[in-house]
Amino acid sequence: MARAARERSEQERGNGVADKGESTMSTQPAHGDATIAVSDELAARDDMIVCSDVDKWFGDFQALSGITATIKEQEIVVVLGPSGSGKSTWIRCINRLEAHQSGQIIVDGIELTNDLRNIEKIRSEVGMVFQQFNLFPHLTVMDNITLAPIWVRRKSRPEAEELAESLLERVGIPEQAQKFPGQLSGGQQQRVAIARALAMEPRVMLFDEPTSALDPEMIKEVLDVMEELARSGMTMMVVTHEMGFAREVADRIIFMEDGEIVEVGTPHHFFTEPAEERTKLFLSQVL
Amino acid sequence: MTDPLPPAAPTALAAEPVGPTVSPPDRPSLPPGRWIRENLFPNARNSILTIFAILVALFAYRGLLNFTFSEERSWIAVRTNLRLMFTQAYPEHQYVRVWVAVGLVLVLAGLSAGIWARWGGVTLKRLMGWLMSGGGLVAVGVLIREPSVLTDAAGESVRDDAGELVRESFAAAMADRWVWWAVALVLFGIGLALWLRFEDLARRTIEIPVAWLVFGLPGLLVASTWVIRYGHYAFADGEFIAEPGELVAMSTRVPWTVMWLLLIGCYGIGRVARNRAIASAQAAAETSDDAEAAGDGVAGEGAPELPRGALAKTRTVVNLAWVLSPFFLYWVVMRDPEIDYAHVFSTMLPMGLAFGVAGSAVLWWLTRSDAGEVGRLAAIGLLLLAAFHWVAAFFGWYSMLQVARIAFLLLAVAGLLAPNFAGVAAQRRRLVGAWLFVVLLVFYGATVINAPSTIETPTDMFIGGFSVTLLVSVLTIMLSFPIGVLLALARTSRQPIFRVLSTVYIEVIRGVPLITLLLFFSGVLPLFLPDGMEIAELAAAILGYTLFSAAYLAENVRGGLQSIRRGQYEAADAVGLTTTQRTGFIILPQSLRVSIPPLVGQVIATFKETSLLAIIGLFDFLRMANSVIPNQSQFLGVRREGLLFISVVYWVVSFAMSKYSQRLEQRVGLGQR
Repeated sequence: MARAARERSEQERGNGVADKGESTMSTQPAHGDATIAVSDELAARDDMIVCSDVDKWFGDFQALSGITATIKEQEIVVVLGPSGSGKSTWIRCINRLEAHQSGQIIVDGIELTNDLRNIEKIRSEVGMVFQQFNLFPHLTVMDNITLAPIWVRRKSRPEAEELAESLLERVGIPEQAQKFPGQLSGGQQQRVAIARALAMEPRVMLFDEPTSALDPEMIKEVLDVMEELARSGMTMMVVTHEMGFAREVADRIIFMEDGEIVEVGTPHHFFTEPAEERTKLFLSQVL
Repeated sequence: MTDPLPPAAPTALAAEPVGPTVSPPDRPSLPPGRWIRENLFPNARNSILTIFAILVALFAYRGLLNFTFSEERSWIAVRTNLRLMFTQAYPEHQYVRVWVAVGLVLVLAGLSAGIWARWGGVTLKRLMGWLMSGGGLVAVGVLIREPSVLTDAAGESVRDDAGELVRESFAAAMADRWVWWAVALVLFGIGLALWLRFEDLARRTIEIPVAWLVFGLPGLLVASTWVIRYGHYAFADGEFIAEPGELVAMSTRVPWTVMWLLLIGCYGIGRVARNRAIASAQAAAETSDDAEAAGDGVAGEGAPELPRGALAKTRTVVNLAWVLSPFFLYWVVMRDPEIDYAHVFSTMLPMGLAFGVAGSAVLWWLTRSDAGEVGRLAAIGLLLLAAFHWVAAFFGWYSMLQVARIAFLLLAVAGLLAPNFAGVAAQRRRLVGAWLFVVLLVFYGATVINAPSTIETPTDMFIGGFSVTLLVSVLTIMLSFPIGVLLALARTSRQPIFRVLSTVYIEVIRGVPLITLLLFFSGVLPLFLPDGMEIAELAAAILGYTLFSAAYLAENVRGGLQSIRRGQYEAADAVGLTTTQRTGFIILPQSLRVSIPPLVGQVIATFKETSLLAIIGLFDFLRMANSVIPNQSQFLGVRREGLLFISVVYWVVSFAMSKYSQRLEQRVGLGQR
């Protein structure tokens, strides 16, 4: 069944890509509203993540102000912005690693509130990959991956291990299953972290600067895995500084600065004809 | 972890280095003369310091030797009272129980060591170093010890006109000590012979398995009791026996020999099991495709690593046996020889069965997938019921056996845990199985431990000395460890009430001297207890030690908890673990590893602090040496010998623990996460 869904999704994606070139994109995205710059095909899909008017303060410092955006099913959204712009804070609010103070975040139809059961439900639907990998150093790669499926999804151990093996195969390191994270390279560790998140069979994957802590030669192996994941129809939200990845893989790019969404658009629009001055300045610095 | 490790990073958890594929350039060791010159006398200042330090060491060594071998010492007091110091007045005809207890511990130790120990080896060079320096130390000791005092025919020391002791001449003293010269020569000779036999490279690379030393040295000691006439000294039936030149009594030789054989035998059994597990893992790896993956675990020479997951059941059983053994052995040593079987069959057995069956039914119902809120409410109802029984007992409203109250409480706890096991049949069976096991344990314990001991002994405390020291320290450590972990978790908890309670507890306990707590628990606590409830002095002391030790352990564990990076919490949250699962699977295992050194330090401290038992009137190891032996009519005032002896025993145990903790740190890869 899963495979059928994936094939279907790939077809859809194919259509989506075909659409992208010629569809009438909104060339004048309204300030701060990310829902507008969506192709017709994307707009027809179900909402996966809906943020409306999300605010967040750290003490007196406002980290997020009035974030409003909708991410559709199977959409790949890349969040760009200078450091300190609130990208990571936003993505961490989506699975409640940080609590937002006002506004609404709805993930897969469940609203994030202080209710512990909602938080647990959302966390088991949303996979997260961290900048620092955050693998459990005292467990083997296999145990890292199977822990949550066994204890949260209540899978049997053989079932979970089978799943873990297939995931390790998918991220390209099946032979490392019995090693400890400290014995792996950074790129391998990050791929294990991706496999660990995927083992929960999430509906959404969040990536918080997944390649920033990696040596240059290891970045590609992680990006390749993420690209493969994107092609398979996963809904993804990626905070990154990898402009190449953003250009190639993203359906939409959201540009943030000072805790606000500045501009939203397709990669083509974003990299060739950005509307906002701040976006232009940012691009001139990074490209 | 900011720097990603290169692919060939040193393996984090390989305790012993596996033979490197490319060896570093060989650096031969320095010849002894050059080593001494470069390390001890490199320049004028260091030479002076070296000479000064050597003089200080020699002076201390001489003092110790003069004290130990002085004609004023009567070591016969220690020899005669060995049994007293270790078990006090435990009746001789029941002594087999003590041996059974020791034997069980050695069986477990042998099995564990056989299956899991990877002690590695000691290089020939180190061994030769030990032998030669041992021989040298003995020789130096013979030389610097002052000559013995002359004795007349009656065995009295000879004094000159001025009343000074008359000592033999130096040459005579050296000649008198020929046995020690022989020992020195043999030790040094073996070392030297080995040195000359092997090349430098061989000396550094050939390794003697540590297991040989660990089992061989006690083996030699045990064997020597069959050959060497240490003399036979004892109190038997109230009479003082002193037979110098005799072999050690059969009742000592035979059991120790059996103990040693048990240890060796179980080690052998464990090794066989280990080798089989390794062989089968290798065979499985060869047949399956991922031979490389399994091969990682067993690569390298020397001690191959036990494959992960192998002998998992055995490990569970042995670990469980270790945890339960103190309580079981307590019963073995202390139990009433005659159990009241009428009570067992009329009350304990039916009650245990009822709790087992009814409790299982309740738990099975509570773990239905649709139990939901009703289930939680039912579990809370059970808890209230259990709590009510305790309140009723306090006010004496109705009578109920204590064991039933405990069982009710445990059932309530199991009921609260039930939602974690809901749904899947295998999980439900596991909970019910655990419940049955707990019921068995509780009712077994209540039956056998509750019965008062009827062993007849001369004093009312029929066991004392080192056994009490050991009993109190083991029970204290086992009881205070979980309490300490809970306190640490409470202190770092987000719930203010837990945090405040735990902080207040820890700060109060840490601000009170241990001896105050002990006196309070042994003297004052009984006054607070409800009517009809008594607490044995020993139990009161253990309670005091436990509460004290728990506060310190909590602080050690808290240190470990604080060393865990925030990312670990976030990662555990992100994959959807609950707070309990996060703590149990991710946070605690890592923080306990970090806390191993301070935890072991606390364990050693607890072990030594049991000597305060003497002050509250219990007959522990220290009190035997400090007041019991000096009061015996044969050894009036002989105190220093006993004190030196118990210091050595305390030191041996503490040193062993500290060495073990170092190995443990290495094994869990501390500092190389």
